[in-house]
Amino acid sequence: MTKLNCESVCMAAMAIADGYQSELSSDQIEAHLADCSGCRHELGQLRLLFTLLDAQERRQRTENVWTLVERRLPDAAPAQSTSRAWHPFMILGVLLLGYRIVEMVPERDFGLLFKLIPVVLVIGAFTYLRENPFKIDSELSLEGE
Amino acid sequence: MMDDRAAIERCRAGDKEAFRHVVEHYQAEAIGHAVAILGNCEDAMDAVQEAFIDTFQALDRIDLARRFYPWFYIILRNRCYKLAAGRKKREMNISDETEIGAPASSIRPEDTMLLEQVMLELPIEDRELITLRHLDGLSYEELAERLEVPQGTIMSRLYYARKKLREKLVRHSFKGFSEG
Repeated sequence: MTKLNCESVCMAAMAIADGYQSELSSDQIEAHLADCSGCRHELGQLRLLFTLLDAQERRQRTENVWTLVERRLPDAAPAQSTSRAWHPFMILGVLLLGYRIVEMVPERDFGLLFKLIPVVLVIGAFTYLRENPFKIDSELSLEGE
Repeated sequence: MMDDRAAIERCRAGDKEAFRHVVEHYQAEAIGHAVAILGNCEDAMDAVQEAFIDTFQALDRIDLARRFYPWFYIILRNRCYKLAAGRKKREMNISDETEIGAPASSIRPEDTMLLEQVMLELPIEDRELITLRHLDGLSYEELAERLEVPQGTIMSRLYYARKKLREKLVRHSFKGFSEG
């Protein structure tokens, strides 16, 4: 439930003028405006701004970027998504699960080399994928940054 | 005239020329939106180029059931904000243009010039929102889709953006605007 104060009334009134149904009804807004000269002035000013902005038109653009874009497009066209990137991970998962099951066999000591098998499997998977799991992507940024 | 869906399907099949149709169809709108965010045409052209290249590389991920431009706008917007952040770091300020063009005959040219100057003083998020709402006439629903925020957020952000713009117009003694 929206609290009824000057700000919420002005916000709701402008939203209604934009064609959006706010939580405050027209009656609530009218009742508040009848007693609040500050809001009446504020809304009058915002409506004037509304009229001024709506009277503007977009600038016509004639620039053509195609030649610049074409030069930089990769040769290979983007293929439709048939990505099977998850397959190596599935195989890795199955192998690690198998390893874990074998490891659970009681009273068996497979030695140090056996313990290294998961490490070798993970290194093998990332080598196959040609991916560095420790790579930092400097292009990433937080939303709103 | 090829529609977007057919053009994208042809791009995916390896027809680069089909992408030309997409670029030429949307470039004017894209440049306009980039100028609205960045405040100058040179940076806007860079951002638009980068956005189209990103788009080409991501065509396999586009949902053909969706309209192309709102999806593309998100890519373009990211490019613009990244460029603006880089510009901020270099402490450069090259704001010289908005998307406001030929005004209606009821508005004096000097008023439009002053409005353009005041718009450039707004934070880029506010300038973007006001441009999309008033110059493009987008509804709250469309704005929410483009900016990836709820409609309630659009309502409040638009209110505060207009309020800031109004306060700046008062400070510049724009005709008709006064303190309460």
